[in-house]
Amino acid sequence: MTDVTANIVSAAPAGSTTRRGYWSGVARDGRKLGLWFVAPTLVLLLFIVIFPMGMQLYLSATWWTPLDGTPWYLAFESFNGGENYLRLVTDPGLWSALWRTVLIMAVAVPVQFMLGLGLAFLFIDQFPGRKIFYSILLTPMMIVPAVVGMMFYLLFQGTGPINNTFGLPASFSWLADVNRAMISVIIADVWQWTPLMFLILLAGMLGVPQDQLLAARLLGGSNWQNFRKIILPRMKPVIAIALVLRSVECFKIFDLIYIMTKGGPGVQTETISLYLYKQTFADLDWSYVAAIGLTILLVLSLAAARGLAYNAKKRA
Amino acid sequence: MTSSFRTVVLKYALVLLACSIVIYPLLWMVTMAFKPVAEWTTGNGLTWFPKNPTLQNFEYIFFGHTAGLAVSLDRTVIGPLTASLVTSICGTVLAVVAGTLSSYAVVRHRTLPSLAISVLQLRLFPPLAVMIPVMVMWAFIGAIDTWWGLSLIYGIVTLPFAFWLMKTFFEEIPVEIEEAARVSGSSHWRVFYRITLPIVKPGLATCVLFVFIINWSDYLLALLLTQKNWVTLPVFMSTLNSAMGEMYGMKAALGLIAAIPPVVLGLLIQKHLVRGLTFGALKQ
Repeated sequence: MTDVTANIVSAAPAGSTTRRGYWSGVARDGRKLGLWFVAPTLVLLLFIVIFPMGMQLYLSATWWTPLDGTPWYLAFESFNGGENYLRLVTDPGLWSALWRTVLIMAVAVPVQFMLGLGLAFLFIDQFPGRKIFYSILLTPMMIVPAVVGMMFYLLFQGTGPINNTFGLPASFSWLADVNRAMISVIIADVWQWTPLMFLILLAGMLGVPQDQLLAARLLGGSNWQNFRKIILPRMKPVIAIALVLRSVECFKIFDLIYIMTKGGPGVQTETISLYLYKQTFADLDWSYVAAIGLTILLVLSLAAARGLAYNAKKRA
Repeated sequence: MTSSFRTVVLKYALVLLACSIVIYPLLWMVTMAFKPVAEWTTGNGLTWFPKNPTLQNFEYIFFGHTAGLAVSLDRTVIGPLTASLVTSICGTVLAVVAGTLSSYAVVRHRTLPSLAISVLQLRLFPPLAVMIPVMVMWAFIGAIDTWWGLSLIYGIVTLPFAFWLMKTFFEEIPVEIEEAARVSGSSHWRVFYRITLPIVKPGLATCVLFVFIINWSDYLLALLLTQKNWVTLPVFMSTLNSAMGEMYGMKAALGLIAAIPPVVLGLLIQKHLVRGLTFGALKQ
C-alpha cells in the first residue's frame, strides 16, 4: 500500500501523443476492431440513455400521465409547451426538498470528511492489529444501503437499544420527531460513508513521499506542522476526489431515508429523490417528474462541465 | 517515529472507539436475527446476545411459517434471493463485457476517446431524475418485473465502474508486449484475446466482483422496475410486514443474508476498492 499515484481525471484523452504513429499506421484493422469493441456500449447508451432522453424531453412538454390511457407516443395530444417547467419554478415542495438535500450534504459530507481524515491519520503508521482494525472500519460501506437503513430503523425505535443505552424512555422518538428524524438519517449516512472517506484519504496520505516526511521530521517539524505543511498540500487532489464523490452520491440519497422514515414525519426528511419518488407514484405526475428530472440533469451537467474545465485549466 | 506510551494508548483508545461505533449497529442486527419475539424490543430489558437463541426467524422467511406465528408468509425468501442473484449476475456480465471491450478500444485503439467522460456522466444523475422514460419504455416492451428488464438496467448503471476500472488495468500493460505480438504476425483480435486478456485476468476478476457488489446493493431500481415475481432481496426485506406488527427478527435475518455477500467479496478485493470507487483516479 505504499505506491500510490493520484491522477485526476481530465477531459483530455490519456496519453494522446504517444505511439500514435504505430497504432494508426501499421494497423488498419485496429480501427475496425476498436469499432466492434465499442459497439455494445454504444448500443446500450443509445437504447437506455440517448433514446430515453429524447422521450423525456418529449413527455416533459405534455400533460401525459400513465392514467390517461393513451400510449406515450400519443402524448403530443396534450402538448402544453413549457407549463411543467413554469410549474417547477414555483413549486414549494420541490424547493424545500432541494434545500433539505443540500442541508444533508452540508452536514454529512464535512463530518464524514473530518472523521475520515482523523481516522486516516491514526492509520499512517504500522501498529499491531492494524490490518484487522482497518478491515472492521471498512465494513459499513460494503453493506447494502437498504440494509443499513433497516439497521438504523431498528436502532432508533423507541424500544430500541439507543434509547436504552442512553437511558431515554421508550416514548422518546427519533424517526417520528420533527427534528431528530433528520439527525437520525444523517447519523446513518455518516456511519455508512465515513469509511469511504477514510479509505480514500488514507490512500492519499500514504502516497505522500516518505523521504520528504522523514526530512521534515529530522529538521524538527512537529507532527501538526508536518501534517499542515507537507501532507495536506500534497493531498489536495485526493481530498477533491473524496469530496466530489461523496457530494454527488449524497445528492442522490434515497434508499436509507426511504427505509428509515419514508421522507417523514410529514416531509421533514424528504430529499430530491424522495420528492421525485412521491410525485412518480403517489401523484402519478409523470410528465412533471420528467420536466424536473431534465432540469436536474441540465444543471448537474453544466456544473460538471464547469468543474472539468476548471480542473483542466488548473492542470495546464 | 518514536511515540511515547501515552500516545500509543490514546491511539488504540481512538481506534477501538471507532471500531465499536462500527460494530454497535451491526451487532444489534446480527443478534436480532437469532432472537425470539420476546427479545426483539427492550420492553423486558436490553439483550445484546439472545438469551434463547433461535432459528425461527430464518425458518419463517425460508418456509413461510413457524411455530407460534399465526400468520404465514405467502412468498418465501427463495424467490427474492434467486432474483437478486440472477439479475446481479446478468447485469454484471453485461457491464463487464461491454465495459472491458470498450475501454480496451479507447485505451489501445483510440476509438471514441470521449466515450470515457460520457460513460462517467451516467453516475452523476439521481436515478429518479431519469427513470420516467425508462419506466415508460420498460412497460412498452414488457420488461417490467422480468429478470432481463432489471438485468439490462443493472448492466448500464454499473457500466461506468466496469469501464473505468478496466481502463486503469489496460493502461498498466506496457504497449510493447502487444506490439511484439503484432510484429510476429498476430491479428489485433488475437493480440487482445491471447495476450492482453490473460494479463488482465486478475483485474478482470476484481472488476467482476466489484460490479457484482454494486448490483447486489441496489434497492431503488428494483423498487421501480419489479412488482412481484422478480422482487429482489432488499425490496423484499423492506416490504416485509404483517398484520401482527413489525417483524424485526425476520427483517434482521433478511438483512443479514443480503449483507454477507458484499462484505465477504469486498474484503476479498480490498486492495482495489479505492481504484474502483474513485473510477481509477486513485490507485492503491
